[in-house]
Amino acid sequence: MPVAASAIYFLNLRGDVLINRLYRDDVGGNMVDAFRMHIMQTKELGTCPVRQIGGCSFLYMRISNVYIVIVVSSNANVACAFKFVCEAVALFKSYFGGAFDEDAIRNNFVLIYELLDEIMDFGYPQNLSPEILKLYITQEGVRSPFSSKPSEKPVPNATLQVTGAVGWRREGLVYKKNEVFLDIVESVNLLMSSKGSVLRCDVTGKILMKCFLSGMPDLKLGLNDKIGLEKESQLKSRPAKSGKTIELDDVTFHQCVNLTRFNSEKTVSFVPPDGEFELMKYRITEGVNLPFRVLPTIKELGRTRMEVNVKVKSVFGAKMFALGVVVKVPVPKQTAKASFQVTSGRAKYNASIDCLVWKIRKFPGQTEATMSAEVELISTMAEKKPWTRPPIQMEFQVPMFTASGLRVRFLKVWEKSGYNTVEWVRYITKAGSYEIRC
Amino acid sequence: MALSGMRGLSVFISDVRNCQNKEQERLRIDKELGNIRTRFKNEKGLTPYEKKKYVWKMLYIYMLGYDVDFGHMEAISLISAPKYPEKQVGYIVTSCLLNENHDFLRVVINAVRNDIIGRNETFQCLALTMVGNIGGKEFAESLAPDVQRLLISSSCRPLVRKKAALCLLRLYRKNPDVVNIDGWSDCMSQLLDERDLGVLTSVMSLFVALVSNNNEAYRNCLPKCVKILERLARNQDIPQEYTYYGIPSPWLQVKTTKALQYFPTVEDPNTRRALFEVLQRILMGTDVVKNVNKNNASHAVLFEALALVMHLDAEKEMMSQCVALLGKFIAVREPNIRYLGLENMTRMLLITDVQDIIKRHQTQILTSLKDPDISIRRRALDLLYGMCDVTNAKDIVEELLQYLSTADFAMREELALKAAILAEKFAPDLSWYVDVILQLIDKAGDFVSDDIWYRVVQFVTNNEDLQPYAAAKAREYLDKPALHETMVKVSAYILGEYSHLLARRPGCRPKEIFAIINEKLPKVSKPTVAILLSTYAKIMMHTQPPYPELQEQIWAIFRKYESYIDVEIQQRAVEYFVLSRKGAALVDVLAEMPKFPERQSALLKKAEDAEVDTADQSAIKLRSQQQTSNALVVTDQQHVNGSILGNQLGLVKMPSQKMEASTHNQGLTKENGAVSKVDPEPTPSADLLGDLLGPLAMEGPPAAPVSGEKNMISALEATPDAAGALALATVGDQSNSVQPIVNIAERFHALCLQDSGVLYEDPYIQIGIKAEWRAHHGHLVLFLGNKNTSPLLSVRALILPPSHLKMELSLVPETIPPRAQVQCLLEVVNLRASRDVAVLDFLYKFGTAVVSVKLQLPAVLNKFLRPISVSAEEFFPQWNSLSGPPLKLQEVVRGVKPMSLLEMANLFASLHLGVIPGLDTNPNNLVSCTGFYSEGTRAMLCLIRVETDPSDRTQLRITIASGDPTLTFELKEFIKEHLVNIPMSTHAPAPAPAPAPAPAAVPLQPQSPITPAGYTDPGVMLAGLL
Repeated sequence: MPVAASAIYFLNLRGDVLINRLYRDDVGGNMVDAFRMHIMQTKELGTCPVRQIGGCSFLYMRISNVYIVIVVSSNANVACAFKFVCEAVALFKSYFGGAFDEDAIRNNFVLIYELLDEIMDFGYPQNLSPEILKLYITQEGVRSPFSSKPSEKPVPNATLQVTGAVGWRREGLVYKKNEVFLDIVESVNLLMSSKGSVLRCDVTGKILMKCFLSGMPDLKLGLNDKIGLEKESQLKSRPAKSGKTIELDDVTFHQCVNLTRFNSEKTVSFVPPDGEFELMKYRITEGVNLPFRVLPTIKELGRTRMEVNVKVKSVFGAKMFALGVVVKVPVPKQTAKASFQVTSGRAKYNASIDCLVWKIRKFPGQTEATMSAEVELISTMAEKKPWTRPPIQMEFQVPMFTASGLRVRFLKVWEKSGYNTVEWVRYITKAGSYEIRC
Repeated sequence: MALSGMRGLSVFISDVRNCQNKEQERLRIDKELGNIRTRFKNEKGLTPYEKKKYVWKMLYIYMLGYDVDFGHMEAISLISAPKYPEKQVGYIVTSCLLNENHDFLRVVINAVRNDIIGRNETFQCLALTMVGNIGGKEFAESLAPDVQRLLISSSCRPLVRKKAALCLLRLYRKNPDVVNIDGWSDCMSQLLDERDLGVLTSVMSLFVALVSNNNEAYRNCLPKCVKILERLARNQDIPQEYTYYGIPSPWLQVKTTKALQYFPTVEDPNTRRALFEVLQRILMGTDVVKNVNKNNASHAVLFEALALVMHLDAEKEMMSQCVALLGKFIAVREPNIRYLGLENMTRMLLITDVQDIIKRHQTQILTSLKDPDISIRRRALDLLYGMCDVTNAKDIVEELLQYLSTADFAMREELALKAAILAEKFAPDLSWYVDVILQLIDKAGDFVSDDIWYRVVQFVTNNEDLQPYAAAKAREYLDKPALHETMVKVSAYILGEYSHLLARRPGCRPKEIFAIINEKLPKVSKPTVAILLSTYAKIMMHTQPPYPELQEQIWAIFRKYESYIDVEIQQRAVEYFVLSRKGAALVDVLAEMPKFPERQSALLKKAEDAEVDTADQSAIKLRSQQQTSNALVVTDQQHVNGSILGNQLGLVKMPSQKMEASTHNQGLTKENGAVSKVDPEPTPSADLLGDLLGPLAMEGPPAAPVSGEKNMISALEATPDAAGALALATVGDQSNSVQPIVNIAERFHALCLQDSGVLYEDPYIQIGIKAEWRAHHGHLVLFLGNKNTSPLLSVRALILPPSHLKMELSLVPETIPPRAQVQCLLEVVNLRASRDVAVLDFLYKFGTAVVSVKLQLPAVLNKFLRPISVSAEEFFPQWNSLSGPPLKLQEVVRGVKPMSLLEMANLFASLHLGVIPGLDTNPNNLVSCTGFYSEGTRAMLCLIRVETDPSDRTQLRITIASGDPTLTFELKEFIKEHLVNIPMSTHAPAPAPAPAPAPAAVPLQPQSPITPAGYTDPGVMLAGLL
């Protein structure tokens, strides 16, 4: 396995080091100065997550008000490094029981050092599962006041669980009410040309699960994906039911999913860990239902005036509605004033992001809304560069709608004691990078 | 500032300051810029207050480093606002945001002009400041007269006039034409009468700028400057606010002194006296005190005054006073002051003749050499280097050597180099020099560059008296346990050459010397191994008949290295091994190294290159340059008079310098464009001539044996029986006849193809030639260079011209002074075509030996040819019209030196036969066309065609056509001579000693009858036959 990190730094937004840990000695201790000088204090920040300065690569990401910087000098696996950072942050969150930010780091630095020692060894990522780590790093994080109280749990034998057949679940769990919550969260990425043709479109989705089940249950999940259905009909030797089936492109499962069974029977069966986890991730590129259509017209009238007209149509079911719709229409930097007329919601000019921002709190399905704005520009000294016309961006959330059309067909639970379970399923579609060129 | 009233601005600034990070700051600023844009775009317009506020915000944002590319119009419009606060922000923002090339500035010129000519002096000041700050060409053109008027006007307040003077200075720097009006020098001189010191200081800044460009025009101001200095020095009429720590306006004093340095001299005796009085006062009145600020101010004045004293060539007394003062400085504990003292002493040393006075402080300077501060140590080293002369060289060099062992690593290289140079330049005797360099290598071997030890080897080789001493010394050093590799190199070289001179001494038998050198062999690097191998060969050569035991040992080593990975070492091993088998012939082949031709010390060159220019660009530098060269001349003479042995040393630089001068003269006397050939820069030309002087000059001794011996080897294989006559290195012929160092025939042959080079050289004299050919005229310069330290007497040069040349030689001096070079001009006029060669009969006396040589002069046929390029249309009619003998001759030539067509074309080109490519369809043929110039015929067209046989390169057919039968014949024979095989290793003809053969136009070569004809120069032979 390739190296993921030679050193890891946690910086605040000013560039002060909160915590750092050197895993290999091929990078110097003052690497963070280079990062501060060459990335944080220039306009490069935020343009590219991987930068090479001198012989070192800096991989960084920002999480709330903390920069996490990984420094490597060898040819590292970048994806692995970023995955490591994400997982580490999830781990920290589960320890602190709340937000991961500068204060949380300051309050828990002893714990973080201990965890950093554990989760990476000589630059190679180790076990990052919170469930397991909590068995032997039993130190409690300093919780923020708003987070939920830790539940008092007995400390079982850690080795048994780590080495056992089902490493992610303890035995002897008992719940009064056996419940399973299933969330299907999708985000739609779109790039559409000004003429309305789709240039790039895909949906990335994940199925999040929260289990409160007693004992060692065995679960089986059925989706309306094409391969699974075909296999099922093959096995049961009856024709597949008519209805919409979808093709999942990339599927990643949580380690609890039995892959041999998935390979042979194409069914998702697993023994779930206790509590919340991400069961699977998937991506689809074909047959995406776009929730919104945007029709922009932008006219530049001379050097100092512009006319912007944006019409947004919702194309999902009339009974559904979108929440928190924001349309950001970029305007040139020298914009001085803008006056608006909108059919719903409110619009204003935001100078710090150089956009006209139009917000609609609730957007029912099968309707449309328009905004028309007049923008006045100020004349500048700089030689007239043609305006690059960045794309219009959109944000939204549509509950009970999946852009992919994915549906949960069944969720079966078997347990020796044969108790009854209650299953809850939710769907939600969010905007990823939903961009329309104008 | 009127910021107090603007709440919005202070809120914004505190917002920005409270931002946690850059990103927040950027967001806040973008928001504010959006706000400003909206406000500026507001149709209702802005109140002056708002406008002012937003423009201040813009400036603040701009100063934080963000782009502000709008709102300039608003800023500019504020300039014409009636109230001060608005005007102020307008001016400030305009001068910050816009630069001189901005188009917007045109808009404001009028508003600015109104302010300048207006009556409100605060507005005038604002406008002048802004003009001074941006002041582009356009401003200069349109506003300069107004600014000048303000400066001159008596009604203005000093405040305004100060600003006007500075503004004018800025405009002048942008556009020197602004003060090019008549009578401005009178204005200046009036301005210098100003009583107000503030105005005077500003005016003086302007004056310095003006004078530095053109001191002639402002000559009338000189007395005024002296008056100002007088006033300041006497502390008359100086207001309290212009005295700084009790010193009356040091800034004005410095500026005035600086201005005075731009005038070449002070002629008026009264003024001069007054000036010196003032300078005296400054020199007397300055001392080192406790207060740092006071020190800084008074020293600034003092150093400027010192510079002026140096510039004015003050009397010795004053100079010594200066030096005494500086002596006080370098004794102070404070490092800054010490540094300044040392630096200024060095500067004084360069410029004036104060060496004797500075010498009094030598001990103090030597202490500075041990200062903890490296910059002071460097200054001290520079000063020591500069002040060194014959009298104190020994002390200083000794001191440097002592210091070397403790010196900082950063300085050692420079130190070693300087010590080596001083030792070389001022050595009282050569053995001391050798001692010093050997010590140097011993103490700081890592920092001794190759040049240094090459140099010592050169000296030892060139001075026979020194050789035993050096060898003994080298032997001593070899006994030391830990030896630096450079020391191994130099000892091995010297012992290889001269160990036989020590043979009687204990521990110096060849066997012992070999043993002790051989001990070092396993530990040294490749270049040193190569030198050691040569040393072994030399030891063998000196032990004839050989000791079998030693011979076996050495052979074993050679055999071991025969398969060494480094080619150089391998080759040496192989060659020495074969050579050493030759027995007695070895003595001839591996003779002692010949003397090195004198050339400028590579060290001095290196030191000159390394010297950093610290002095500012002014008269001082120029003078210092002149001065150093003079100093060299002086020391030279001292050496010539003073010492017997050391006279070679000090002269190192002389010959090249004299020659440099002579080339310049020569360049000037030439009427035609030849001047361009003479490089105007002194260094390269010195180089050029240095090379001319020493074509054999070797950069370092190691190269010598290799190249020499390589030739020998090849020659050996070819003609083993002629080995005795082969050596390029002088064979140990102990008779007193003088052997030429160069192969005369070869040199003559080379000179037939080139225009400059060495014609003849022997241990005493070198004759160089430089020729220029124009049509049928030739202009030759003979350089007769005496290589020795004693004069050459009864010099006589006679030209024996052939019948076809008219030659005239200028007067040759009877004696050539030691180490000097004289030039003789030789004019040649060509009458007709002939291959006869002119001969120079040259005779001189060195000591008791009379040397007479006959030299062929390269005034040969091809020198009067000029290539002509013709097209096919022109060529063929000519070619066809000249048909048949005697105008057109054809001959098949055999035994041609095999060469490719390209080489032949090159040969033709150097023979001035212009090859015309593409004229002949056969690619194996060469066609060329040239014009022959003689007094009778002027230009005569000659056409040549050469047909070669690609399968047999030794034969070709040549066809020549011209309008003159003799020319055709002569040219054909001439080309033939150059085409047939000429062996390059023809043996050097030994000119007969005293009894010269009968002077005749016939050849000079007393040919030994046994020499096979094929090995002599056919040109010479043919010349003899004719």
